[in-house]
Amino acid sequence: MIKAKKRTGLIFFPAYDWEITPTHPERKERLLYTQDQVLEEGILDIEGIREFKAGLAEDHDINRAHFCVPDVGSRITPSHNVSAGGCIEAARLVLDGVVDNAFALVRPPGHHAMRVVQGARGFCNINIEAVMAEWVRSHYPRIKKIAIVDTDCHHGDGTQDIYWHDPDVLYISIHQDGRTLYPGSGFPAEYGGPNAAGLTLNIPLPPKTSDEGILYAVENLVMPVLDDFKPDLIINSAGQDNHYTDPITNMSFTAGGYARLNEMLGPDICVLEGGYSIEGALPYVNTGIILALAGVDYSYVREPDLDPVKLKQDPRITDYIKALCEQILTLWKTRAGLRPERRPFIERFRSIFYDTDGISENQQEVLRYCTACPGTFKIDSAATTGYHILGIHVPRHACNACRDQGMSWLDNPAGSYHAVYMQDMDQDQYILRKL
Amino acid sequence: MILGIDIGGTHTDAVCLSGRDILSTAKTPTGDDLVSSIMEALGSLGIKYSGVKRVVLSTTLSTNAIVEKKYAKTGMIVSAGPGIYPGRYFLTDSFHLVQGAIDHRGREYVPIDQQEVLKASRHLKESGIEGVGIVSKFSVRNPAHESFIASLLKDDFPFVCQGHTMSGSLNFPRRINTTYFNVAVMPVQERFVSSVQKALAHLGVNAPLFFLKADGGTYASSAANRLPVETILSGPAASMMGALALTKRPEGTALVLDVGGTTTDIGILLDGRPILEPKGVDIDGRKTLVRGLKVVSVGAGGDSCVWEQDGELRVGPARSGPPACMGGVVPTPMDVFAVRGEFEEGDAGKSVDALSPLGDHLGMDIPQLNAKILSTIVENIRKAAKEFVDEVNSHPVYTIHEMLHPDIVQPQRVILIGGPARLLKPYIEASLKMECEVPEHAMVANALGAALARTTAQITLVADTQLRRIVCPELHMEKEAKQTLSMDELKAFGFAAIRENASLLGLSDNAEFSVIEEQSFNMVRGFSTVGKNMRLKIQTRPGILHEWSGK
Repeated sequence: MIKAKKRTGLIFFPAYDWEITPTHPERKERLLYTQDQVLEEGILDIEGIREFKAGLAEDHDINRAHFCVPDVGSRITPSHNVSAGGCIEAARLVLDGVVDNAFALVRPPGHHAMRVVQGARGFCNINIEAVMAEWVRSHYPRIKKIAIVDTDCHHGDGTQDIYWHDPDVLYISIHQDGRTLYPGSGFPAEYGGPNAAGLTLNIPLPPKTSDEGILYAVENLVMPVLDDFKPDLIINSAGQDNHYTDPITNMSFTAGGYARLNEMLGPDICVLEGGYSIEGALPYVNTGIILALAGVDYSYVREPDLDPVKLKQDPRITDYIKALCEQILTLWKTRAGLRPERRPFIERFRSIFYDTDGISENQQEVLRYCTACPGTFKIDSAATTGYHILGIHVPRHACNACRDQGMSWLDNPAGSYHAVYMQDMDQDQYILRKL
Repeated sequence: MILGIDIGGTHTDAVCLSGRDILSTAKTPTGDDLVSSIMEALGSLGIKYSGVKRVVLSTTLSTNAIVEKKYAKTGMIVSAGPGIYPGRYFLTDSFHLVQGAIDHRGREYVPIDQQEVLKASRHLKESGIEGVGIVSKFSVRNPAHESFIASLLKDDFPFVCQGHTMSGSLNFPRRINTTYFNVAVMPVQERFVSSVQKALAHLGVNAPLFFLKADGGTYASSAANRLPVETILSGPAASMMGALALTKRPEGTALVLDVGGTTTDIGILLDGRPILEPKGVDIDGRKTLVRGLKVVSVGAGGDSCVWEQDGELRVGPARSGPPACMGGVVPTPMDVFAVRGEFEEGDAGKSVDALSPLGDHLGMDIPQLNAKILSTIVENIRKAAKEFVDEVNSHPVYTIHEMLHPDIVQPQRVILIGGPARLLKPYIEASLKMECEVPEHAMVANALGAALARTTAQITLVADTQLRRIVCPELHMEKEAKQTLSMDELKAFGFAAIRENASLLGLSDNAEFSVIEEQSFNMVRGFSTVGKNMRLKIQTRPGILHEWSGK
């Protein structure tokens, strides 16, 4: 019998009775062949690898990460309670020491869901990693710094948005260059808000990047940054659409590459994100990731149609990636200088499109510049659904001035809103005032 | 009349039934030769054999052959393709890994190399091997590679097994183990069946012979010759089926506790059916695909040793010989009953001698110590039962419906069987806070369970309408699927297939079939539906013969 070097927990929730529409890529069948492969390989019989039942995330858990408009119940289906609940369960297993690491192999995904949720974007309604990370911080105060490394092929603009102003959560995204793929964002110049400058790192890679390029970026950029940041918890948003067979992306990554990536990264928790090559990629990528997490030899795991010669990376891509990584590493090392000059408030205006639901939203965000804490902020959000809301975020370890500012915004919303929300992270209190 | 015989490690129990009447029971020691042990037990029944219509055996034959490695050298030819390196799955030095790869939908990526297989075959033949197991990864989705290898072996080996015929479930390492053990015990089983049949004929018994399987069902001896591995671990199955036969109230959810000398077996009956281990049972430290009852064994029995550790009283988990009252050296729960005069066969004086030093050490008099011993053993059983129920309820589910509407298993009563059952009843009842039934005839529960268990089998169907294929591995059956195949049509096909193959599977003529699992997925490629992927499992559920249960 095979013994794992690490105790690895697996939360498998394929949601076989949930789909966006019958022919949507996010379909009932999505994890069927992955389950077949995992079962046939006998992975759940490996000593040290154990499967656990998913849990259910409550509204309260979702409110820690989101302002759901008009409320949580209207924006999600029970499938989201389970996929976020599965992530929470994975975190619980790791933090309670039941396992050394865990993989939440759940659907639906979440990394395109931003703090304000007026609808669904990129197949995502709520951000399951953020719901999990906030649950962790509320239940395990010893976890102060978290790193989320997003290896989905699409830029995780939702996770970036939620942690934009948070200096305690480092968000690193490796993805196909936004000039060639949805959602079109994720460039190095997006490096985080004024109070958390440099704590968002985007690594946009050219189409046709192979194992060589992605693993180069992990080894020479992600790992040194993590060594420097010293997170208490590492989460991998393990999207699997960098795979050479993925139908909606253009990369050349392999199952073996994904396994090696996880072996190098050593995440505490992996969460499945995208990946729609459900026959040619997911069965092998997931097998590789589980084995890598458990410290079991994965060197014979490969796609049956793999042709390494065809996937060889163009040397120009190699050179481009080397230069890019150097540039971003410099950005990280000099992040202290990225902080803008002091002024009381900093404003930002954004237009957000919810492609899955066809909704447009305009946001006006006001952040209190703060050096004592991550800084309180408010978001004024108006969507084509007709909803106009104000969301106020009072961060963890908020200083008195920021807390007072948040309260004052709550009591004097100054505008004609349908509702005012407040996330009071230290009190773990979430207010929704319908006006 | 039906004869049920349970050959245990120490005793062979036999029972003779007619309708709902137990005509005769017998208990004799098990000797080295199992056939003689069976004949001795039958002899003790003192019945006329002419009216016997059915003989059912629950034996440790294949279990012992596997655990004691008493089988001939067995060869394996395995094709794995990419995945986990199968080096750890080599059970024998006659294990030949050959090329060939099939994917999860049953598509071939790398063909079998005929020359390589023939070379392996020659090698096995030269080593004097008679039994060969053939296994390929995903053979339950497409058995072509296994069948091709088998065809290359021709008639060179008397015993050949293909992995896909063992079980329709996915699990390559378990398929290897199951196939290997099955081939290994085939000659042992065949010899045994033939000797038992001869001996029965000699007695004048001209009735079909059945064997009890790990899943609490039975099958005809012809099927047992083909799939002997399914008889492993039939002991716990016999006791669960015995409890089911004997209980006055088979409906509802009941916890079954079979308290023996060394251990207590814990199982659950759900509305008259035992619950099954979903993946398969373990034997000799190896995991198999053999469908078996979900049973856990805890080291707490009438002969468990009573001892002390750091000032705390302990009972079990080990047994150190017989109770003091029966000539042993260590005090046991049975000594408590001997002292109290409830276990009359025991020498109470010897029990007191064994218990007193322990009582002195712990600062308790004998009545206090006795109460503590009983509360400790019962607490050990209660904890194990609670963990067992929690584990049953923590199994993962894969649909939102099951997540939101879980089927929680919550036992409402206890069926207590085994030697010390009657003595322990009041304590178990108080500790588990459940009504507790100790059925009559519990002494021969195992033989009765074997005698009364219905025949069972299970088949798996996978239909892939894009590849235009229906595969039923257990029946070694492959059919073309039309593009418009519906689940109802697949079910009809499955029911017909299992009926037509009833004798191959060893089923009785009146076996009843039901669907236990069905899944149907639209296969979506590039925003359009290209076919359906359907999975279906049909089984005959384990249960008690209608003649007895009256249902």
